Amino acid sequence: MDMLKISNLHKHFGTKEVLKGVNLTIPEHSIYGFIGKNGAGKTTTMKTILGILKADEGEIIVNGKKAEYGETATNRFIGYLPDVPEFYSFMTPKEYLRFCGEITGMKKADIESNSKRLLDMVGLGSEKHRIKGFSRGMKQRLGIAQALLNSPKLLICDEPTSALDPVGRKEILDILLNVKDQTTVLFSTHILSDVERICTDIAFLKDGVVSTQGKLSDIKTKYRSDEYLFEMAEEADVRRLLERFKNIKQTGNNQLIFNEKEGSVFEVLSFITDNRIPLVKMERVEPTLESLFLEVVES
Amino acid sequence: MKTLMSFIKKEFLEQVRTSKIIILFIIFVILGIMNPAVAKLTPALMKYMSEELAQSGITINEVTITALDSWVQFYKNIPMGLLVFILIESSILTREYQSGTLILSLTKGFERYKVIIAKTVVLCILWTVLYFMCFGITYGYNAYFWDNSVAHNLVFSVMCYYIFGLWIISLMILFSVMSNANTIVLAETGLVVFLLYLLSMIKKVKEVSPTTLMDGTSLVYGLSKAKEYNIPLAVAILTLAACLCGSIPIFNKKQL
Ligand SMILES: Nc1ncnc2c1ncn2[C@@H]1O[C@H](COP(=O)(O)OP(=O)(O)OP(=O)(O)O)[C@@H](O)[C@H]1O
Ligand SMILES: [Mg+2]
Repeated sequence: MDMLKISNLHKHFGTKEVLKGVNLTIPEHSIYGFIGKNGAGKTTTMKTILGILKADEGEIIVNGKKAEYGETATNRFIGYLPDVPEFYSFMTPKEYLRFCGEITGMKKADIESNSKRLLDMVGLGSEKHRIKGFSRGMKQRLGIAQALLNSPKLLICDEPTSALDPVGRKEILDILLNVKDQTTVLFSTHILSDVERICTDIAFLKDGVVSTQGKLSDIKTKYRSDEYLFEMAEEADVRRLLERFKNIKQTGNNQLIFNEKEGSVFEVLSFITDNRIPLVKMERVEPTLESLFLEVVES
Repeated sequence: MKTLMSFIKKEFLEQVRTSKIIILFIIFVILGIMNPAVAKLTPALMKYMSEELAQSGITINEVTITALDSWVQFYKNIPMGLLVFILIESSILTREYQSGTLILSLTKGFERYKVIIAKTVVLCILWTVLYFMCFGITYGYNAYFWDNSVAHNLVFSVMCYYIFGLWIISLMILFSVMSNANTIVLAETGLVVFLLYLLSMIKKVKEVSPTTLMDGTSLVYGLSKAKEYNIPLAVAILTLAACLCGSIPIFNKKQL
């Protein structure tokens, strides 16, 4: 079943059209990476899903129910972490989570056990101070805890790791990985290594539409280049190969790149075996998300 | 209902922890004590002044003070209390828009209309407690020093001003859902009261305007009849209900 289905979503601010027909389908139990440049409209899309922004056009179905602007019914399935979460600063983290549990009608015992577990998980378990003096990273941690409090079916995180130190980032990513069994996760980010680490699916937002979406592995296969990397032991052999094959390029010290579009890789291999050239390494070049990002988003 | 109670509980916690309640409490206690105190001190003051004036040839007759003088002070001073109340509480909604703290409650599925109800209930409870506390203090001192029975329509006049306070609260709520800055809320509320007050120079307007309810002095002196306040009361209650009922659909469509 699809946890979230967005069809033909349009949104403009003033004369600026930010979303021009976004279509996005998120299957259950996936961790969905939402990628796009600054100002691409990721936050706008998320806010529209939550009914905080009014869409000009289009339909959003959350867990089989239509989401409406100004109404909060479908938000009961959703846990949301905004890009800059704001809490009641006069409360302590524990009091805030109790408040969140109470206004969503959770049972007292569940509130107690969940908030204790979550606060320990995000590293705020022993924090007795009021939220007033919290750093951005601490707020983001508390943000994750409040988003997961009522075991949401869909967790929407807007750049959840942007304010975190490297250890904190790893912790939060591990948390997202851990909740995968009970929860579907949609998160936006600029940090592509995060995406690579935990995402099962990705979508690129560009020029107001989703230009590419699907399983991370499928997309990587689709954009796999036909490039091979050879690393030679001897400088002289590099020159021999360069002379023999016009379409081989040198990329580094004793490293050569061959593109299969311009001839079969087996020709190169047979040349190497015939001449008994010692090889250090040969590999097919995997596309990195960086190169994908550049190709899909920047082009 | 339980979720609404939790939100109201949060509002009171905020009032306490941000020291709003204690400030209001102190001010309304001071006002309550001040009314009989000023009345009590008037003769001494007059005596002191008359000695000075006598030198310049003016004589002042001995004044006798009754509970009425203290009630006149009450209606002179309670607008100060209401003003402080408005200044302190006018940001009850706007500060949540500006900080963005409502977003998390609403994105958890807490209904928007409950936000309005909770805030209104909190303001009404605060006003009720503070106002009647101030009244109670004045009443107690008056009963001790003099006799409250000289005041005409005392209970009625006190209720009129109480309803006027609730009417102001409903205006603040309506203006708060229509704008994002509490200075605008203050300006709009002030403007409505000021304009109605000015227009009340015209007799036809005075007969219907809720601002007429502020004039408790005429009632306790018996200069005005209680039934002259029936129409302003009805107008106040109707517009109050309209403001609150109107606030909810406007807030539902508000972009946060
Ligand atoms: N309330 C608003 N009023 C006017 N314009 C807005 C508003 N909110 C967003 N925009 C515009 O919409 C565009 C998309 O903004 P959005 O915040 O969705 O981008 P984003 O993808 O989340 O960017 P980032 O990666 O920086 O978080 C931006 O160009 C921004 O200027
Ligand atoms: Mg954003």
